[in-house]
Amino acid sequence: MAEQHTAADGKHKASPNAGGSLHGNSRTNAVGGGGGKGGLSGGLAQPAGWQSLLSFTILFLAWLAGFSSRLFAVIRFESIIHEFDPWFNYRSTHHLTTNGFYEFLNWFDERSWYPLGRIVGGTVYPGLMVTAGLIHYVLNLLHLTVHIRDVCVFLAPVFSGLTSISTFLLTRELWNQGAGLLAACFIAIVPGYISRSVAGSFDNEGIAIFALQFTYYLWVKSIKTGSVFWSIGCCLSYFYMVSAWGGYVFIINLIPLHVFVLLLMQRYSRRVYIAYSTFYIVGLVLSMQIPFVGFQPIRTSEHMAAAGVFALLQAYALLQYLKDRLTKQEFQTLFFLGVSLAAGVVFFTIHIPIIASVSEHQPTTWVSFFFDLHILVCTFPAGLWFCIKNVNDERVFVALYAISAVYFAGVMVRLMLTLTPVVCMLSAIAFSSVFEHYLGDDMKRENPPIEDSSDEDDKRSSGNLYDKAGKVRKHVSEQEKAEEGLGPNIKSIVTMLMLMLLMMFAVHCTWVTSNAYSSPSVVLASYNNDGTRNILDDFREAYYWLRQNTDEHARVMSWWDYGYQIAGMANRTTLVDNNTWNNSHIALVGKAMSSNESAAYEIMRSLDVDYVLIIFGGVIGYSGDDINKFLWMVRIAEGEHPKDIRESDYFTPQGEFRVDKAGSPVLLNCLMYKMSYYRFGEMQLDFRTPPGFDRTRNAEIGNKDIKFKHLEEAFTSEHWLVRIYKVKKLENREPLEHKLRSIVPRQKYTSKKTAKRKRGHIRNKLVLKKGKKLNKK
Amino acid sequence: MARNIPFFAAPTYLLLITALCYRVAADGLVNEEVKRTVDLSTHIAKITAEILLSNQGDSAVHNFILAVEPDLAPHLAYVGASVSDFRMNLPFPTHITQAERQLVVFQGNHYLYSPYPTRSQTTRVRLASKTVESYTKLGNPSKSDEAIEYGPFRDVAPFSEDTMKVHYENNTPFLTISSITRIIEVSHWGNIAVEETIDMRHTGAFLKGPFSRYDYQRQSDSGISSVKSFKTILPASAQDVYYRDEIGNISTSHLQILEESVEVEVRPRFPLFGGWKTHYIIGYNLPSYEYLYTLGDQYALKMRLVDHVYDDQVIDSLTVKLILPEGARNIHVETPYPIDRIPDQLHYTYLDTFGRPVLVASKNNLVEQHIQDVVVHYTFNKILMLQEPLLVVGAFYILFFTVIIYVRLDFSITKDPAAEVRMKVASITEQVLTLVNKRLGLYRHMDEVVNRYKQSRDTGALNSGRKSLEADHRTLTNDISSLQARLKTEGSDLADKVGEVQKLDGQVKDLVGRSCQEAERLVAGKVKKEAYIDNEKTLASKRLELVTRIDSLLDTL
Repeated sequence: MAEQHTAADGKHKASPNAGGSLHGNSRTNAVGGGGGKGGLSGGLAQPAGWQSLLSFTILFLAWLAGFSSRLFAVIRFESIIHEFDPWFNYRSTHHLTTNGFYEFLNWFDERSWYPLGRIVGGTVYPGLMVTAGLIHYVLNLLHLTVHIRDVCVFLAPVFSGLTSISTFLLTRELWNQGAGLLAACFIAIVPGYISRSVAGSFDNEGIAIFALQFTYYLWVKSIKTGSVFWSIGCCLSYFYMVSAWGGYVFIINLIPLHVFVLLLMQRYSRRVYIAYSTFYIVGLVLSMQIPFVGFQPIRTSEHMAAAGVFALLQAYALLQYLKDRLTKQEFQTLFFLGVSLAAGVVFFTIHIPIIASVSEHQPTTWVSFFFDLHILVCTFPAGLWFCIKNVNDERVFVALYAISAVYFAGVMVRLMLTLTPVVCMLSAIAFSSVFEHYLGDDMKRENPPIEDSSDEDDKRSSGNLYDKAGKVRKHVSEQEKAEEGLGPNIKSIVTMLMLMLLMMFAVHCTWVTSNAYSSPSVVLASYNNDGTRNILDDFREAYYWLRQNTDEHARVMSWWDYGYQIAGMANRTTLVDNNTWNNSHIALVGKAMSSNESAAYEIMRSLDVDYVLIIFGGVIGYSGDDINKFLWMVRIAEGEHPKDIRESDYFTPQGEFRVDKAGSPVLLNCLMYKMSYYRFGEMQLDFRTPPGFDRTRNAEIGNKDIKFKHLEEAFTSEHWLVRIYKVKKLENREPLEHKLRSIVPRQKYTSKKTAKRKRGHIRNKLVLKKGKKLNKK
Repeated sequence: MARNIPFFAAPTYLLLITALCYRVAADGLVNEEVKRTVDLSTHIAKITAEILLSNQGDSAVHNFILAVEPDLAPHLAYVGASVSDFRMNLPFPTHITQAERQLVVFQGNHYLYSPYPTRSQTTRVRLASKTVESYTKLGNPSKSDEAIEYGPFRDVAPFSEDTMKVHYENNTPFLTISSITRIIEVSHWGNIAVEETIDMRHTGAFLKGPFSRYDYQRQSDSGISSVKSFKTILPASAQDVYYRDEIGNISTSHLQILEESVEVEVRPRFPLFGGWKTHYIIGYNLPSYEYLYTLGDQYALKMRLVDHVYDDQVIDSLTVKLILPEGARNIHVETPYPIDRIPDQLHYTYLDTFGRPVLVASKNNLVEQHIQDVVVHYTFNKILMLQEPLLVVGAFYILFFTVIIYVRLDFSITKDPAAEVRMKVASITEQVLTLVNKRLGLYRHMDEVVNRYKQSRDTGALNSGRKSLEADHRTLTNDISSLQARLKTEGSDLADKVGEVQKLDGQVKDLVGRSCQEAERLVAGKVKKEAYIDNEKTLASKRLELVTRIDSLLDTL
């Protein structure tokens, strides 16, 4: 029956690729015989409706579980946007919904990077904002008056449900329905993905993982069918991914890699040709529609692999065509080998620098692998082995996906996110196969293995789920023979062990989500001994003060970490923000922070700064404050202004970074230090410590007598976490005293003259400069 | 004929009063004794005047006119029967540092400004603190701790004015609500949602120079005129209170549920110093049965037009939006005092189709005394209550219906007859498979019957079992052959295979029959046990062979 179906399937498809479908037949049959065995839910398959109902319910519950486990932050705190980048996304979405799409695309944000400004429309991936804006628009069209903030907060949890559905689809294509359902459940709760998609974390990754998985699903689908329809679907999904996240580069490299490996494995078929040609051309054109991406796909190196594979595929197809005409076998194989080797060398040499350039973050530790993936990290190699053992076109794909994702995740913590889905899928495959073997005994009577290939063929050809003919194949009389010879005890023990692992996994996921990934970081909470909670809302206190009580066009200088939050919450102009596109501007701010007051005042005057905002954790012992980040400011400033700022000046002769009396005098008099500890020297936090004891660094500060000349304290939040200083305007020149009045005009005149004269006198100048340089050296 | 007449409320008709005054003076009314109290202990000046009035004319008097000084008139917020509120406290100096105390100047009249001559009057000024910088010394006033007594003044002419000026320390919070928008949304499902958006500023002396958190935390009198928090009293039945602003919940608030009210301790995110402002939203739900009265289709909503925000509140501008249920008609409003109506709007929210009517009204310059009820009458057809549930039901109906249509009907562009035939054949073969399996099941059942017979030697049971087997087998076989016929009509080659299965099945059936007979013979003692076992073995192996062949045939189906 399976043959019949696939044969009919071949007819069903467009006639030109009959050869391809034949190829496919033999392959799928091989798969059916060797690998995929019955789904978990297959037990109830007598009326086929049961199965679809069951999978529907499981998917729905997975969605629900995924959604609810992401709500810790909302329940503990409130519906609020988290961290830093989400605030920018929220602000842009807000701009989009209030001003419309075209206004958003043309948005020039004069409130950031003062005085440069930022072209937001052309420098963001708009997918996230457009998605949230669209949902908001549709809801409002239906008169569901939901605030855009709530749409933004709950977008990522909702999309996690879509991610689990697309993971289900992808895994079903790769293995079978049971594994698909397991994978959907895994991805719904796995911490590696939750870390980026809790409610309130309104960031690109939240929707990008869905787009990634869905693109891969459609790609696998199109490579299986070789139909242009699925390919176009894949392109559209890829387009969405490009619009959503810079990680689309992963897709545009993985898919060509897949095609390339298929070619190397002599698995070339017309389906591959159709799928990839369509994908590359349409996907290229679509991806160039995103303003931020623009012409990158045909200019930058990370897209060249795709182009190379495209050319290679065309050449290979031409050779295949010529093969029918010319029978120069030896020549052709030589040619093929040459081309593929050349392309392979090009591919990999291009590929590695990208990773190197992206990996500004530290490599992942083993602990974080286990922390984010728990047992899945142990079981997914088994799934990979199953896939490689019963290899076919799409399993080649998932193997490549797994290998490359593992590599990237190892290089850089952030890319753990791309590893998570594939780990879920492969672990699901491993668990599913194990359960088939060990859970099967009491079911076998009614449920012998179901061949997934025929299942897929059914679905593809008949187009609806009600037709499950060919699945119900019962060897009633023969169940005794099919036993693998495993005792029921072993089976039940193994099953119990597996279930316990899964249970521990679920517990671990909930624990990690609750403890590690559900803090808004805008609001801090501390717990007293009796369990009551103190909320430290200093950030919002200070930002809201800025919003309400400063001039609307006031310019706030702060370290770039807080740029997005100031723009989002305080709605004031910032100098630098988390976009970090202009290093020299950041360096200038860093220089201002690390210079002494009068030098800093020069810089701040030239940048029109009205307020300076810093984060100071010394009172409550908050470790992520600006003094702890201070060395980065110094380093970045030194990078651009090596003459004025030297990192070594901020260390003690012993090479320590200390804020107490032993600290270097440059540090104790720099602007950041003074702003952090202004009047802190008088403050006695408790009776055991001296006044001015910094709890974060556990030291009594070294400079307690801090006076400002050009700044004044404008606001300090309740727990001193945020301190805002006002930069005074130039003072009115004080009425000149009697002495000066007579002297000043003379000085002026003489100085002008000498200045002019000095231009002619080289000797004097040279002498002065020489002395300075010598000192420096 | 002297009567103690309370004031009558004359909120804003000052011009009218001055025009009429001379005619009025001729009426012969005389203020016999006036006791004025100027309460300056808060940020608003409350002037109370107790007037003993006598009519010395001939005719009866129906009106009593209260006049307000032209200078004060713009600052007048409210005139009640016993109190009139002025906002005449001006901070002086206008800018103070955090450590300084707030000094305020009040400018008023020593005398009662009245169209009638006054025989005798006293004025008592109550202050907020002991510290007084200066005050006018008309008639040698006596100053006690927190009060200054002027008078008594004898025989004051009508409309006499003499500037009284008091410069004193006043650290009470000078909060002003610069604008408040109050939205009341009525739902006939039992809820009234109230939301107030409030812009608030500290209108005392501006903060000059730095704000030092250290001083504010460590010195009790630092920033004494600043506002740390205040209490808002909500109705007792208020539920789900929220207090937030653009960037989220204001976590510093506290809620206290009392017997007769709900008290929210509103603590803005930061202390409010002079000139600082803040903005927040406070909202809550009320059960509608306390405020909504109904008689048939007639509804009346009785709610406070403006509610308490803080004690002695001052509101610069108020906007009230009353959102009535969708379909409310014949709306008319009774306000306790004149208020500007702005054209009605429409509001769309959950499941609305043609919009809810919104009454919008605004008023400037309000104080605590304006907390009064507004009554809104309207008619509402109760049938309209069904609209929203029906809408939901209809939407789901359409959704399910489209799914049903989509699943049942074939929307593919290309017709594929082969696929259809294949589907039909597939369904038939599926039926065949179940039937064959059932038939094989029958044989196993028969085996059990035979085994039981061997032990119990109950011929009756065996015969009945055999009969039922025969009957079931016949029906199943007939079913299968009819299916086989259908397969043939579909032109499928599977029909032959089914035929083969049938043939094989016949042989199996024979074998079952034979084993049954063998068993009978064994029981009857006609066969020896060893021979029987041998026979049974061969039969079983034959059967197994046949069944395997059937299975392999089934597999190819």
